[in-house]
Amino acid sequence: MSSKIAESAFRSAAWRISLWATIAFALGTLAVFVFLHSFVARDIQRRSDAWLSGEVEVLGDVAERTPKDALYSRVVGEVAELAGREVPNRQAGSTDLNDSVFFLQILPDGSPGIWVGQGDRDVYSQAIRAVHAASGNPIDVWVSGIPIPYRVAADKTRDGSIIYLGLSERDELHVLRELRFRFTVLWAVLVLLGYAIVFSTTRRMLGRVRNIAQAASRIGRDDLSTRVPAAGRNDEIGQLASTLNRMLDRVEQTVGQLHTMTDSLAHDLRSPITAIRGRLESSLTAEDDFDRSEAIISAIDLLDRLTEFLNTSLDVAEARAGALRLNLAEINFEELLRTMIDLYEPSMTEKGIHIVLRTEGPLRLSVDAALMHRMVANLLDNELRHLRPASSVQVDLQLRDGQAMLTVVDDGPGFEESLLPHLFERRIRGRESNGHGLGLAFVDAVASAHGGAATGCNRPNGGAQIRIALPVLACLSHPNKTRGA
Amino acid sequence: MRLLLVEDELDIRGFLRRSLEEAGYHVTAASNCGAAERAAVEESFDILIVDLGLPDGDGISLILHLRELGVRAPVLILSARRSVDDRVRGLEQGGDDYLTKPFALAELLARLRNLLRRNAPSVAESARLRVMDLELDLLRREATRAGKLLQLTQQEFVLLEYLCRNAGRVVTRSMILENVWGMRFHPDTNVVDVHIYRLRGKVDGEGRHPLIRTTRGVGYVLKDR
Repeated sequence: MSSKIAESAFRSAAWRISLWATIAFALGTLAVFVFLHSFVARDIQRRSDAWLSGEVEVLGDVAERTPKDALYSRVVGEVAELAGREVPNRQAGSTDLNDSVFFLQILPDGSPGIWVGQGDRDVYSQAIRAVHAASGNPIDVWVSGIPIPYRVAADKTRDGSIIYLGLSERDELHVLRELRFRFTVLWAVLVLLGYAIVFSTTRRMLGRVRNIAQAASRIGRDDLSTRVPAAGRNDEIGQLASTLNRMLDRVEQTVGQLHTMTDSLAHDLRSPITAIRGRLESSLTAEDDFDRSEAIISAIDLLDRLTEFLNTSLDVAEARAGALRLNLAEINFEELLRTMIDLYEPSMTEKGIHIVLRTEGPLRLSVDAALMHRMVANLLDNELRHLRPASSVQVDLQLRDGQAMLTVVDDGPGFEESLLPHLFERRIRGRESNGHGLGLAFVDAVASAHGGAATGCNRPNGGAQIRIALPVLACLSHPNKTRGA
Repeated sequence: MRLLLVEDELDIRGFLRRSLEEAGYHVTAASNCGAAERAAVEESFDILIVDLGLPDGDGISLILHLRELGVRAPVLILSARRSVDDRVRGLEQGGDDYLTKPFALAELLARLRNLLRRNAPSVAESARLRVMDLELDLLRREATRAGKLLQLTQQEFVLLEYLCRNAGRVVTRSMILENVWGMRFHPDTNVVDVHIYRLRGKVDGEGRHPLIRTTRGVGYVLKDR
């Protein structure tokens, strides 16, 4: 079990992120250290070289000027020993200085002369001869049996002898070793600490993401009402959670609408289907041809109405969901109204209803003409159905504030008060209505699909009023525009 | 008239086949794109009926493919979708027509006739239409019945002209609405019927032999016998 957890930790994004971050950090600091280390090493070398060159020159002078008597080697040796006490980069507490500095004189005949220092003079002189040290810049000399090289400066005196001053690089290397050691310890601590911090932070962050993912998968499986945990913080992950929740709100709302729609559709279909079935059955048992064809005709009529109801239902639902496709074309809306009223006028007259159109002249709109036909037809069908004889309908078209205002008013009984807040909802119909309750919902859906709006009210002095506002310009740039003309 | 019917629904195919054969068409039926393509290559047809939702492809692609194969006959597209998408509109502009399910058989037959007529070599348009003792002067926009001038409005004349052009054949309310008023929808009230009653009053009134008859459940017909 624990190995499983460890395995999943290794595969987690937090592990990978912190691993890469740590590697990058470790390599970066290492590079900086290498640069600093080489800088320090060069500086120490430069300083000890400067000292060596200076001292060897002084010693050369002393060796030249000191008379070659019995005291010669003693004087030179003393001076050399004194010089050795001033070694740069000397380690504190190092009392024994002789093992880090040596002085050697090679006589003109090549044999070793004065020797100040520990160890065997001949071994050192051999080592020096082997590298052909000459006056000039100090060089490294490896003395056999000693693991650390000497830095050796040479000076040629006038009498032909060469004097060498050597300084062990032991102290210098020690300083650098010490530097490396301390750096390594500090570096390891920093890297581990950094890794731990990055790992725990990303783990916590990604833990929140994982919680969101788990909640989301639960939502997909079980229900749509659950929401992902939204942390108080408003960081990227908090925003992710709230965005996801907003999306879920919309999904739940849409699915809810879909449920309501399918439920009400199923319910709405039952009665017409029952009626149609009944008509057809009665056609089978009809006594004579007339009754039989009456039943069938009535069934066909019911089927046509059912089809129309289905289509309108789906159109309204699509428009509500913003998915109604518009075939926009610029038309003269006044002419469209005139044609529609010409179509309805005989039916209105037949019922004793007087209809008038009032416009301010041609008004060009970019609309879906077929939808507009149906919208206006729905409005006029409503009037036909609800008005009593000797009523009148007035259709107004005006251009106001960049909007086309289509107003249909009548002097009939008006809307039932209880319906007023729900006029444009589906399946809302008056008590005496024999319509399918989609007329105004469709009107509203078409208006909003065109970027407009529908409002309805009862007029103070009686009668109903429906007003549709259609934007004149916005229609041209409607996002759902599929085809201009 | 040889007709290729491409429809996958067995019930609809059977009923359409029977009805079309009764109407005098020689029907070849195909239930999918593959069979339709084979049939169209082997035989030549005067008109095609293509359902959009086919099991092995989409009707529009089939029509476009048939056009590539050199089929020039007009196509009546059947669609189960209530709104017609842009691709169908494109074909409609190319001379084909569409009908959404469910449809009235009379309308299907009328649309087939229209498509065939559109495709037929154009006959010089007569300036006069004559059905029994009803005569329409298309230039002067005047109608006479038994030599007596009928007082018709412009709209009524157009409606009567449409009925005359389809004399002897049933036209549905939505066909009248589309062809006379240029609108394609089904009104919820009897607006078309009232126009017909008015026209009937003028054409068949005064005890004349009734020409404009109602075919109940379907539509209207101008009797030519």
